[in-house]
Amino acid sequence: MVKLDRINLSNEGLTKFFSPIEAQIMEVLWTNEESTTPEITEKTGIPLSSVAGTLDRLVKAGFAKRTMDKSGHRVRYLYSATESMDKTANTITQKVLDSLVDTFGKVAVENFHTYKKQ
Amino acid sequence: MFSITQEIDCYITCITGSGLLPVIGIEAFLALIFFTFYLKIGKPVLRLTSFIAAQLFMVLLIGTVISAMQCSQMLTIEIYTAYAILSTLIVMLLPRVYYKILIRKYSAQPITDIIDWPQAFVNDLAEGAKVYYYDSAVPAAFASGKCIFLSIGMLELMDEQELKAVIAHELWHIRHNNRTPLLRQLSFMTFTKNRSEDELELLADAFAGEVVSESAVKSAREKLN
Repeated sequence: MVKLDRINLSNEGLTKFFSPIEAQIMEVLWTNEESTTPEITEKTGIPLSSVAGTLDRLVKAGFAKRTMDKSGHRVRYLYSATESMDKTANTITQKVLDSLVDTFGKVAVENFHTYKKQ
Repeated sequence: MFSITQEIDCYITCITGSGLLPVIGIEAFLALIFFTFYLKIGKPVLRLTSFIAAQLFMVLLIGTVISAMQCSQMLTIEIYTAYAILSTLIVMLLPRVYYKILIRKYSAQPITDIIDWPQAFVNDLAEGAKVYYYDSAVPAAFASGKCIFLSIGMLELMDEQELKAVIAHELWHIRHNNRTPLLRQLSFMTFTKNRSEDELELLADAFAGEVVSESAVKSAREKLN
């Protein structure tokens, strides 16, 4: 599973929410309209053996989607991000806030009002 | 009650008393010879044959030992017989239903839904085999029953010649499918680990090399490794 349920606060950037390979693939998908598998392996520099399983996971988790493209004797997948980067950021924020409010209730909400970045 | 020393005594008394000791000795010796042959020989076909021969002699050996037993109610023999019958039933029946389980597990669809040529290629080579595809980016191919399964990842990765080599490889498995459960059963009955899988893969590759081309088999293997 893509680990939205296991957030790692000490990690850098997107790897707080995704594994490093997942994050690299998502970056490619967010910055391109549609990508083929070879394009993704080339842009991320990650071998197919790691990319293929991760793509299956991202599709299953709903972050990426794929369509089948048939041309002549060949078949290939075309990948794209299900939501834009901003929308995904929104989804992640929503989930984190829900979880904070569920756990801490009023204290969490008061903190949002007085929040200043340290 | 069951006592292991009593059972062993039983075996020794019965075997020496039955006059089958020379037969048992010869069978054990031949089994050993064929096992050594299997370990020393390099050629896949000969390796496979000597492995099967060794296992057959092992089964024969077990049969002779059982027939030499005059003692009634030997627990070890009863357990072994039950094990042999049960494992034979499972190994023989499983392939008849297993491909159906696979189709459901992978939500596999007939490949003719997306492209026609792989099924046509199979029809030219074998009667009745059906090609399926399933939704996964991980390159994989396998055969069960009379079905060949290819992942979309495999279709993406291979060019036409390489894909034909992969399909031919799987077809070889299907053609020899009636033998694989037998091999598995032999190794169940003799408690030897079935090492013939490697030989089967090599023979399947050799067949793919004949039907398509050796270079296609080679480059497909390289892409997968």
